[in-house]
Amino acid sequence: MTAMTAPVRNRVPRVTGVVPLNAARLLGVELRRNTMPWILPLIAVLFWFDSYRPSAGTSPLYGLRTFWNMGQGHTIIDFGPFVAGVAAWMGSRDGRRGLADLVTATPRPRWVAQLVTWAATAIWAVAAYLICVGAMFAMYAHQGVGGTPPWWWVGVGVAAVTAFSAAGFAIGAYWPNRFAAPVAAFGGFLAMFLSSQTGFTHQSGWALILPTNSYDDFTGSSQTDSGIFYPWVPDVPIARIMLLAGMAIAALGLTGLPARAGGQWLRRAAAIVTLAGVALAGTAVGLARTAHESVEGAVIPALHDAASDAPISYSPVCGSAAGTSVCLNPAYGRWLPDVTAGLAPVLAEVSGLPGTPARITQVAASYPSGGSGPPVPMTFGGDPLALRLQLGILNMPGACGFCGLVTAQQFTDQIRLLFAHAFVGAGGAPGSPVQQAVQAALLQDAGIPIAAQPTLMRHVENYPGAEKGPATGPVYAAARRLAALPAAARHAWLATHLAAVRAGQLSLGDLP
Amino acid sequence: MNVEISDVTRRFGRTQAVSGVRLETGPGVFGLLGPNGAGKTTLLRMMATVIQPSSGRVRLLGRDPGGYGPRREIRRRLGYLPQSLGYYPGFTVAEFVEYFALLKEMPPGQVPRAVATAIERVDLGSRARSKLRTLSGGMLRRVGVAQAIVNEPELLLLDEPTAGLDPEQRVAFRALLRDLGEQATVVVSTHLVEDVGAACSEVALMDAGKIVFQGTPDELIARGEGTGAAGDAPLERGYSAVLAAARSATAVA
Repeated sequence: MTAMTAPVRNRVPRVTGVVPLNAARLLGVELRRNTMPWILPLIAVLFWFDSYRPSAGTSPLYGLRTFWNMGQGHTIIDFGPFVAGVAAWMGSRDGRRGLADLVTATPRPRWVAQLVTWAATAIWAVAAYLICVGAMFAMYAHQGVGGTPPWWWVGVGVAAVTAFSAAGFAIGAYWPNRFAAPVAAFGGFLAMFLSSQTGFTHQSGWALILPTNSYDDFTGSSQTDSGIFYPWVPDVPIARIMLLAGMAIAALGLTGLPARAGGQWLRRAAAIVTLAGVALAGTAVGLARTAHESVEGAVIPALHDAASDAPISYSPVCGSAAGTSVCLNPAYGRWLPDVTAGLAPVLAEVSGLPGTPARITQVAASYPSGGSGPPVPMTFGGDPLALRLQLGILNMPGACGFCGLVTAQQFTDQIRLLFAHAFVGAGGAPGSPVQQAVQAALLQDAGIPIAAQPTLMRHVENYPGAEKGPATGPVYAAARRLAALPAAARHAWLATHLAAVRAGQLSLGDLP
Repeated sequence: MNVEISDVTRRFGRTQAVSGVRLETGPGVFGLLGPNGAGKTTLLRMMATVIQPSSGRVRLLGRDPGGYGPRREIRRRLGYLPQSLGYYPGFTVAEFVEYFALLKEMPPGQVPRAVATAIERVDLGSRARSKLRTLSGGMLRRVGVAQAIVNEPELLLLDEPTAGLDPEQRVAFRALLRDLGEQATVVVSTHLVEDVGAACSEVALMDAGKIVFQGTPDELIARGEGTGAAGDAPLERGYSAVLAAARSATAVA
């Protein structure tokens, strides 16, 4: 007797209440035989080239390191289209393979079976995303990157990968043929492309909801020193997670609408799920429209928890420049020697003059809301008078990622220029001709020749009123006259006239 | 009666695939014969609760598949092998059968034994760990049968189950059908009359969406005797004679 003619066994008894365990085993089978792992090496390579490598070339601060891969969403762009494509492949599987009838003829509703297949696909994709991001953050930690990781942005990435998998799966389920995968992948890429391009031009209102929206002043996402001076504000990420979760829920609900998906009540449930997803996504867009910028980042009033705005406490690292205390956040500690080296000559030059700071302290970099002009990296205030330094606005020495290598000399020149600009009272404006002339003379004496100053101004990001031409004209002529004076004579003139210079009450003819 | 079908019609657009079919059958192996396009597969799909009839009444295992709860109960007790069965090429034989055992909501603790038994019964025990993409067409057909019987169904629907099987496997499969038919209602759709003669206790012949004959294989043979109908075997001659009579009656009408 062959095995095929073996007698019939007793029927397997049926047990109620085993559905969850049964579904877990089904998920196990789907996880073992899912297509997603096959594409993950390609995604990992892309992630390394497009997300990790460019970010590793920027200053070791989480805000800067994650601007490209999290803020502008390159981790999402690296994963999204491929995940959508593979999910479409999985979603179209039963139809493509001619198994739809067989799956439909089982007691488990086809929608549930499809959701299990999708869940396995999404688990692989999300796990891979978390592993890639985890490895990247581990590398950052190993490199001593300052600040704290933007976990909420990681949450946005997880939600995005999930949404891409759900959308791709729905495309495959509705269009079960071999072209579903490339169409879904291309659609995902197109969506990300449009999202990125929109993010470059629209950084407020509804556009904040786009998961790749973050321009170079971080408007709409966070501030440069988020995670260093203040916790990452989760408001916009929460809204983005809501949007992406809503899209995922709606897409999965759609797969339950066809007649084959299950019974009538199940299809009604699928319709409700779809509508709930759409409502969640719509709510998220509405919330994003109410966002405004604060010193901590973008705030959505309905989602904001003011208690989370408390500054992060830290013990500053301090040094001395020309006898003046210079204290920085430990995340910036590695640049303390560069900062003190940059400030020392100008501080020595103005020592004893009115308005000379008694100490220099770093404060959180803060980009003002749109239309309020460029940020001012150095300001004076407090009693005793302190120079408040927003290092997060500056290009720090070392690799800069998207702005080229910044040498230590360029950084110290930048510090001196900005200090002199603030010291003469020019603030966020180019300054009066006299202020410009005094500034140029101070810089000349601090080791930056007048002829080189226009070039320096052009290279300092957000510097107000940078000279476009060479160092000629009446301002520079006056500056050269002032710089030519003996140091003591210049110091004496400044001691007498500095208040008038700051008030803009002098003309170039008043300079010695 | 495990299958009660009365006045069932099914249309696909303007095409009437099944027209006014009446059918009743209890435990045993029931053969559904007919030429290509006769409506056998559509009838089986309705019996498998994959599609609903356009009109008429279907009761399976004493339940009305129109309701969600009864339909689910029917499906728990159902085994189905579609005519054009696809497969997941990356799955192993055991995984594929396990997958459908789980979809049939079998208790997880009993799935491994049931899967092993089903695979042994279709003589694929040695290939249980083989990926489906490595199997021949006949082996894949046997995998399809294994998934259909893994839950020890009370109603087993097999659409062209012997397609692609070699002669030795067809003989073994007919024996399996007889075994299964001792406890369950097995409906076998085929256009191979020798399968019917060897395994079925009752047979229906479909043509143009209608049942034109229902009886035992011997009764079908008797219809062909002395008619001069084409066919190498008595059952084939009966088949041809019934079809010819039905078509001439349709033409006259």
